[in-house]
Amino acid sequence: MRCTSEIDVRDVDESCINIDPIQVGGRLTADAMKAVIAYGDGYSVCDHCRKPFRLDFIQKPPIQQFHKELAAFVNMDEARVVPGARRGFQAVAGTYVQKGDPVLITALSHYTEVLAVENNGGIIREIPADDGKTITTDSAAETIETVSREFCRPPVLLFLDHFDYQYGNEHDVRGIIRVARQHDIPVVYNGAYTVGIMEVDGKGLGADFVVGSGHKSMAAPAPSGMLAATTERAAEVFRTTEARTDLTGRTFGIKEVEMMGCTLMGVTLVGMMASFPHVRERVKHWDEHLSRGRKVVESLERIVGTRIQSEMPRNHTLTRVDTIQSFDKVANTHKKKGFFFSSELKARGIAGIIPGATKVWKFNTYGLSAAQSDYLAETFLGIAEKYGLDIQ
Amino acid sequence: MSKRAVDTVFEALFTLTDIRMMLRDTAPQHRLDDDEKEAADAMLRSLEGNIRTLREELIG
Repeated sequence: MRCTSEIDVRDVDESCINIDPIQVGGRLTADAMKAVIAYGDGYSVCDHCRKPFRLDFIQKPPIQQFHKELAAFVNMDEARVVPGARRGFQAVAGTYVQKGDPVLITALSHYTEVLAVENNGGIIREIPADDGKTITTDSAAETIETVSREFCRPPVLLFLDHFDYQYGNEHDVRGIIRVARQHDIPVVYNGAYTVGIMEVDGKGLGADFVVGSGHKSMAAPAPSGMLAATTERAAEVFRTTEARTDLTGRTFGIKEVEMMGCTLMGVTLVGMMASFPHVRERVKHWDEHLSRGRKVVESLERIVGTRIQSEMPRNHTLTRVDTIQSFDKVANTHKKKGFFFSSELKARGIAGIIPGATKVWKFNTYGLSAAQSDYLAETFLGIAEKYGLDIQ
Repeated sequence: MSKRAVDTVFEALFTLTDIRMMLRDTAPQHRLDDDEKEAADAMLRSLEGNIRTLREELIG
């Protein structure tokens, strides 16, 4: 089946249970798909853009109201939509980081935080993870002290992932933010794996900024995301242009410098908006998704030799698993090598695990129904049984 | 301009989208329970109505 002569239809989620670690929270709702159908054209949300000609002032569709609701959703004062969480990091780094400034991230931070700092000439320092691959308050406090001594001043910014992309482990954001505030370090709460799937209270945590990913966790098309800030920080990161061109003397109203003017001007924004009522509701049911994920993890643990590398019990549906002593042993003698596992999964209607991976791999069960998560758990056990692996 | 035809096209596309979501929710086996079968039947009837409307509006 093809969309065009050269582009295949993408039907992975219609045909399979998709457990791709980065895709599941970004799957569109039915309402988002419908909005995408109607608003696919380029500047589709701009039909009713009037003075002062800025995206977050548009009232039809209700984009202005959506911005207010987005800020409230994460308990912050102001919010803007951005083309992905990374553009939120970039905006904050562009505001606070100068060449040679020390900036803290963690040993499990996403690479786009590094790029955002590098782009402004900042110097990265990482807070180390402990043996369990979590970032502790003590570790953060120690690193802040060390970096402050090294640079004779505190770091200018701290990027902090609530749950990291490598293990899906939870880090002590509340404690770490408290320590950062004692040193007057602004904190960017990276909610790429939380905002849109579980409740987030930005000001309650003490964060200066909350960044969310539309396409990762808010059932929105890519690239989309949000950057929310406290009133104080909003005045800085959402500052408006003061430029006047020399020859023509042109000025540019209230366009925001870090946003590069308007951000999501069509299908990405309207998809995000259409999903939002469902997203706001689904965060209240995070425990159900977590419980289903834990059942799948339990079934994997029953396969002798399999080790869950993520923290246990699981506090997130993204999990990293080591199957070197189970499925990888099968791969060593199988004619398809590591591809036997993905082939077996595909034959049973499971997609999203990197083809060929049998040593260490990640999966995410978010969004599966109870029947689908049960099926997935049975599928892992069924493959193990087929290849003679011991099951406890 | 046929406003009715335009509206009907969107209505049909949206109903097809709901069917698409049903496929997602029941993947990979697509075994529908009684309630889902009933919902699918209603959607297919709606689509048939949409096609009749489009024939009237566009072909006459």
